[in-house]
Formats: sequence, C-alpha cells, structure tokens
Amino acid sequence: MLLEWMMNGHAILYTGVTLAFWSTILIVGICYTIFDLGFRFDVAWFLTETSPFMWANLGIGLAISLSVVGAAWGIYITGSSIIGGGVKAPRIKTKNLVSIIFCEAVAIYGIIMAIVISNMAEEFSGTTPETIGARNYQAGYSMFGAGLTVGFSNLFCGICVGIVGSGAALADAQNANLFVKILIVEIFGSAIGLFGVIVAILQTSKVKMGD
Amino acid sequence: MASSRTPQQRGRIPAALAVFLGLMSMLNAGNCDEQVPLILWTSDGISLPSQSAPTAGHIVGQQQLATYLENALNVGPRNVVLFLQDKMSVEDFTMYGGAFGNKQDSVFPNLEGALMSSSSPLVLPSVSWPASNAVIGQLQDQLETSPLYMDPETLSQLRLNASSPALLVFRLPYGVGSDLMSAKEILSGNDEVIGQVLSIMKTQSVPYTAIYTALRPSREGEDTCILLWAKGLSVSILRSGRWEDHDLTPSTFGEGVNPKLHGSSCDKTKAKLVLNYENVLGHRSFKLILAMSQRHYSVSARRWFTLDAVELEYDGTKATFNGSRNVYAPAEYSYRCESVTSFRWPLLVPHSSKDPANQWRVSFEDFQIQGFNVSGGEFSYASDCAGFFSPGIWMGLMTSLLMVLVLTYGLHMIMQLRTMDRFDDPKGPAISVPQTE
Repeated sequence: MLLEWMMNGHAILYTGVTLAFWSTILIVGICYTIFDLGFRFDVAWFLTETSPFMWANLGIGLAISLSVVGAAWGIYITGSSIIGGGVKAPRIKTKNLVSIIFCEAVAIYGIIMAIVISNMAEEFSGTTPETIGARNYQAGYSMFGAGLTVGFSNLFCGICVGIVGSGAALADAQNANLFVKILIVEIFGSAIGLFGVIVAILQTSKVKMGD
Repeated sequence: MASSRTPQQRGRIPAALAVFLGLMSMLNAGNCDEQVPLILWTSDGISLPSQSAPTAGHIVGQQQLATYLENALNVGPRNVVLFLQDKMSVEDFTMYGGAFGNKQDSVFPNLEGALMSSSSPLVLPSVSWPASNAVIGQLQDQLETSPLYMDPETLSQLRLNASSPALLVFRLPYGVGSDLMSAKEILSGNDEVIGQVLSIMKTQSVPYTAIYTALRPSREGEDTCILLWAKGLSVSILRSGRWEDHDLTPSTFGEGVNPKLHGSSCDKTKAKLVLNYENVLGHRSFKLILAMSQRHYSVSARRWFTLDAVELEYDGTKATFNGSRNVYAPAEYSYRCESVTSFRWPLLVPHSSKDPANQWRVSFEDFQIQGFNVSGGEFSYASDCAGFFSPGIWMGLMTSLLMVLVLTYGLHMIMQLRTMDRFDDPKGPAISVPQTE
C-alpha cells in the first residue's frame, strides 16, 4: 500500500520539492557554519538592496491573482452544484445565481484593490539605500502587505462562499424554504472579503512613493 | 619597510614595471623589528678610523651605509669577507648571545672573539633592510670587483693577495620554519662557519675586512597594526568645470617606495593611517587619512570594524568621505573590494552636501585594508564586498520561487480533478449523437 501511495504522481512531486527545498537549506546552512561565514547572512542587506518596486508589484500581482483564484474556486464549486441540481430541479437555476454573484464580488474587490495599489507606484531617483529613502521602502512594503492582505482574504472568502453556495443550491433543490436561510450564511462569508479590502486600504493610506 | 607580493595583474602602470606591493604602517619606532644589524670589523692589527656610531634608534639608510662602507674601505683592507645570512634581527643576538649575564650560553663565541680582537669594530644595530639587501651591490661598486660566492672548503683553495681587492661572500642559512633545526642551532652552525673562515684567513695572513649582516629581518612586523593594499590610487579635483586627476600610486605603493606615515596611530578601538604627500594638484602638503574603528555590536554578537572616513587634508581644509555604511568587516578579517571610489558605484560618500569632498573624487583599485588584529604582517581572511548573490539575483529568485509555487499549486489542483467515470463502459457501444433536423 505504501508503494501504491508512492507511485502517486502527487506524492512524488511533493516529496521531490520538499526534499530539494530542505536539502538546499541544510547544505547552505552547513556551509555558512563551517566556513565561519555566518556574518554574511544579512537580512537587512536583502531588505534594503531589493528594489521597492519588486515588492510593490508583487503586492499588486498577488492582490488580483489570489482574489481571482478565490473567486474561480468558489464559482467552480457553486456552479457545478447548481448545474447538477438544476437537472432535477430547474427552478433553482435563477435564484442561485446570487451565490455566483457573491463569489464574483470577491474578484471585483481584488481588481479594484490592484488598481488602487498600482496607482500609488511612482518613480524615484535614488539608487542606494540612503538616496532611496525610508518613505519609498515603506511604500514598497506597504503595497506588498496590502496585496497579500486583500489577496488571501479574498481567496478564502471566495472558497467559503462557494462551498456555502453549493450547499445552498443542493438544499434548495430539496426544499425551497431553505434557500433564504442559507443565504444569510453566505452573507457572513462574504463580509470577510470586505474586511480584507478595508484593511488593505488602511495599509496603503500612508503610501507616498517618489522623490 | 615595504613587503613584496607577486606581480600578477596588469595595472595602470605598464607591465614592464608592474610590481605592486603592499604598504605596512610602522608605529612605535622604539622596538621596531624591520631593520637588520650590520657588524664590520678588520683583522688584527688594522685599525679603522673611528666613525661616529649612529644615535640609538636611528635607522641607517642606503646612502648612509654607503658612506660608512666607503670610509672603512678607503683606509682598511680591500679584501672583504661578507657573511650574508638569510635573515637576522637584533633579537637573535639578545636571545642567543648570552646577553643576560650567561656568557657561557652564547652561540656566537667565534664572532665575539673576532670583535674583541679587532681594534675598532663598527656596529650598526639598525640598517634598513632594503639597504642591507643591496650591500653586495654597494661593495661591488666600491671595490670594483665581482663577488665570489664561497664556502670554507673553497676558501682554503683560494690564494688571496693583499694588493688586489676581493669580495668573498659566504651565504649563511636561517631557515626558521624548518622543524629540523631550531634557530639557536642554525646560528651556532653559522658561527662555526665564521670561525672556520676567519681561521683560514688568519693562516693566509692577508688583512681583511669582515662584515656580518643579512638580507632581511628575521622577525617581521610584530608592531605592524594597519595593512593597506591597492593596485591603484588616484584623486581628482573639480576645477573650473573640469576634473583634474593625480595618480598617487607611484608615491604610495611599489617596491622600495616609503610613503610618509607621520600621524598614523592605532590602538584597540581606533586606527588611523595617514599618508603624507607633497605637491598634489597644486597643494604643497596633502594628506590622505583613513580612519577606522572597531567595536562590539550586540545584535550580531561580534566585533566589527568600519572604515569611518577617508579624509583629504590640504591647506588647512579637510574633505571628508564617509565609508562606514559600506566598508565594514568582522574585526578579525580584512575588507577587500575591487573598486572603492566616491563616484563609480560609490562606497565613499561626502560627509554632507556642503563638504569640500563634493569637489573631490577618490578612487582605489583592488583595495584591501585591515586595521585591527593584524598578525604576522599578513592579511587575514578577506571579506569581499561582493556577495555570492547580487540583489538582482535575489529578486529574480524570489519571484521565480513564487511563480514555481503557484505552478505547483495549479498542477496539484488539475491533477486531482476527476471526471465522472461511474457509468463508463469501455466494452459497450459508443455513444451516438444523431443529427437533429
């Protein structure tokens, strides 16, 4: 049975990736130690030498992409349930589209935040950490953080709404009274995406990139 | 006071004279060991004009040594027996010469006997070692004869003539580091050779002048505390819209170059190397000061040293470049960088926007410095300014890693999709979808 499990494509992929990752970390760590070069491991250097633009654009990219993943996942779950349930109970089709709309809203939050954050990215003329200045670094990191915030919130919100919507569709197919009650659960699920957006707006409120 | 390194790279100076050397800073001249003693005496019965011995601590340079030798050889015998040891320092005599009341332990009985029987020996305790290195050449010039490298066996077969000058060189080893013989045994062996040679010379009854010295000091730079190496050093000043350069490399680095280091100092926490020049870009006195400091940093829990400032002092003005932001290394190691400049990927920045340093440019090529924990006159491990990964590589790696993770996640999702296969019947009839009207 172990052999069957090992033959699984997933298992090979994940074992391989994990092994490569941890062995790299182990060997790099051992080399740093035995050559007494631990002093060259400098996190501050990494954070100040990498460009704030990289962080900002990672934030923008993650904002939209993670939100879309959440929305897509939610729609995929809900959609398949609606279509499946609609075979035997066609009346559920129109009413349950509202679950799809809740999932889609998550993607809309994502794109709005991505546009808002990308508008904050401006040119600056410094090349060294001193000339770039603390404010530009703060801007870069804030944009990255905001993108992560909105992205992950929307990701989980979308999945949540999708699963609840799927349950709503199937319950509705059985008994039409249940739909409205389950919709309340979906509304709560949807609120968490909104929280992510609000926090991301707060994070980027003080961002001012440029000279 | 300069030590040599192998000449390997081309530099701004043409390859023909491409010998780039290190510079060592000598401080506390009281117990410096960068000099070689030289002892000169004549055979019995000949007396030299008494020459004024050098004052205590004075280092005899090449010119002065030539004068001493000239005075001795003009009057004394022109048959010179030169005992040239590989390395020698005054410490060899104090440690092994029975100088602390233990005459019986001395390893130099023959030498002492010769000096006592000679009427006016000349003892120069500190001859700068480039000068002692060149003593053969100087004797060759003064005697106008070529040196003959000999040992006691070949000497006994030689017939010497009191009228014609001769330069007989006896090379004596000083192999410190060969574990077979200690320094004491080697010096004792050398003294035996001296004794044999002097007795052979006595049997030949030819008057001679004997010199005992070495090519380089045996104890290297225990007092050196700052080491600086560079392939090129230049300064430029902005005058009426144009940059005027001045190459300081020939007056700082190179074989036989002795830059003036007055004002340099070092202690446990601060080190200052001062290079003094004359007539640089129209300034009569010009100083380049490298100020370093070391202290303990609690977050990394180790001592680091920084090059706090590179200052140019001229005509009472001081132009300061800050370097502590970029030029640093753990205190036990040296710092090395291919290019330390104030204008090209600058590691040195003017102290403020109004500082005179804004009108200057300083450039070191292939720069290595160590201001603390210098041992044995050599650099410790060099912490290079270039890391293994550049910032660009790190950024690329980070984003690539992120995308690989996304790809992995996507692959995982797709691979776990299942299609409906409950009603699959591979052996049954194929589904037919008829065309509707």
